[in-house]
Amino acid sequence: MFFNKYKEKSDGAIRYYDIKSLRTKILSIAIFILCLLILIVCLFPSVWVFLASFKDISEFRKDATILPSTFNFQKYVDTWNNLKFVRYYINSTIVVIGGTLCSVTFNGLLAYVLAIIKPKGHKIILGLVMWSLLIPATTSIVALFVNINKVGLNGSFLPLWLVFGANAFYVILFKNFFEGLPKELIEAAKLDGCGELQIFLRVILPLSRPIVMVVVIFTVTAAWSDFLLPYLVLNGTQKETIMVKLFAYHSSNKVNAVDMLRAVAFSIIPPIILFTIFQKQITDGATAGAVKE
Amino acid sequence: MRKVETNDLQICATPEITVKKKKVLKRKDLIGWAIMLPTLILFSFFIWEPLLENIKLSLYQANGIRLVKFVGLDNYFTVFAHPDFWAALKNTFSYIGWSLVIGFFAPILAAILISETIHFKGLFRVGIYFPNIMPGLATVIMWGFLFKPGGTGTLNILLGKIGVDPQLWLTNPGWTIPLIVMSMTWKSAGATALIYLAGISSINPELYEAATIDGASVLQRIRYITLPKLFSLGKTMFILQIIAVFQILYEPMVMTNGGPNNASISIMQLVYNFAFKDYNFPVAAALSVIVCIILAVLSVLYFKLTSNKEG
Repeated sequence: MFFNKYKEKSDGAIRYYDIKSLRTKILSIAIFILCLLILIVCLFPSVWVFLASFKDISEFRKDATILPSTFNFQKYVDTWNNLKFVRYYINSTIVVIGGTLCSVTFNGLLAYVLAIIKPKGHKIILGLVMWSLLIPATTSIVALFVNINKVGLNGSFLPLWLVFGANAFYVILFKNFFEGLPKELIEAAKLDGCGELQIFLRVILPLSRPIVMVVVIFTVTAAWSDFLLPYLVLNGTQKETIMVKLFAYHSSNKVNAVDMLRAVAFSIIPPIILFTIFQKQITDGATAGAVKE
Repeated sequence: MRKVETNDLQICATPEITVKKKKVLKRKDLIGWAIMLPTLILFSFFIWEPLLENIKLSLYQANGIRLVKFVGLDNYFTVFAHPDFWAALKNTFSYIGWSLVIGFFAPILAAILISETIHFKGLFRVGIYFPNIMPGLATVIMWGFLFKPGGTGTLNILLGKIGVDPQLWLTNPGWTIPLIVMSMTWKSAGATALIYLAGISSINPELYEAATIDGASVLQRIRYITLPKLFSLGKTMFILQIIAVFQILYEPMVMTNGGPNNASISIMQLVYNFAFKDYNFPVAAALSVIVCIILAVLSVLYFKLTSNKEG
């Protein structure tokens, strides 16, 4: 029964002993229905993208319906081929892989030094990193763009990889985790004659799988979704990522509405798959980072 | 302990077994800094230097990316004299106001509702976070479609089912900002709601039980136990939200292009326009510096609030 399950509820305001009264019964049903509504609101827009992209353009323009008349996957295939999406998928994947490697390596190393080695002056760096956490990078995009042009890195994937190696949030996530690792293991590795870098690779990283996973997932989604910097660096170079292309299609008006919708669908499929597989790590990571600040 | 440090990888310098502590420290420092160095270079190149470069750039006249001559605060005056700046500033307050009304309370409400249910709790938690993993640009384009005016727009179809006339949505100047804030809330509220949910689940359950014995009703328990707990979290979330609002860029750029008639242009969009439409980098930099100063003040406020909580 609906109400019996409330026996298991051991936190929050409503408990099983409240359920006896009719008012609370109605209230808990109302709450449940509202939760369902929230869920629908959260999921519907993305579901709609897939539904609507099965329509053809005249159906999309004229019919006031939510459901398409047919579910023909050929339309997806045609759009995929016409817009040459393979190339942009590959480009995005290159950015994601490079970005993730940089993210784990560089932020991990900095966090390792700040949390474990703690050389003289590390507090200054920690302070600077904390500050960078709060000054959003978008505000200095103009100067960054000028810098990238000065060193001749425009039109290259390199800045898009390296930018993920300088992420204050990931550094703090790593640092908090590393500080909780047992010190004895690190001491033992030192006794065995491991150098600092070896300790990082052989002791710290294997012990830190959970946090590495969180940072990897965050970076993958961020790198896949990143738009402004890739747009400024890559636009018009044949190295465009999916997001750059989405924006280009959207502003050019050469791509019709349903093709546009299918392009949006292509761009959200990988994150959705990733989320379905790693939902637990992702939702746990979302709170871990924010509460610990 | 000291022995360990000297052993470690260094070619056994036998006579130096009794190394003074100072020297050991130095080696550790050196290695530490050497390991940090690559990351520090990246931080300098991508974050710290651009911040300073921005200030320098804003004080010069430039030809493309080449600085021509020092002009003092002229670029700032250009910004202040620009009609779009005042439109954008006014909009920013409007964005903040609406995100207080919509964006601030939505995650609190969602968190309370989800924590007070027992069925499908895991599904609700995951579902509410789902929009967060959607790429920002895709979300914005998607909402642009959903807000399509006329009888075939999706939201209008849905409204039609309950007998409401088709709306103009984004083409109605009075609605653009609230609707943009709504779509932003849709995307980001889930993450905030999860943080509130974690906050609620950290409340000692005995508090509720004690309140029940004292005769508090369910709503009273939420009012006097859950809400006060969320309030302290809410203060910091509020500042984080204002910081986020100052950076709004894609939404007006893609959904409305700042229109209708500048009704939704945001400050960062203006920075973008100055830089990448007019190619006037110094003026764009000047405006960035102004935004940066505002955000720095807000950040100090945020730090103060969070450190008070710990202390």
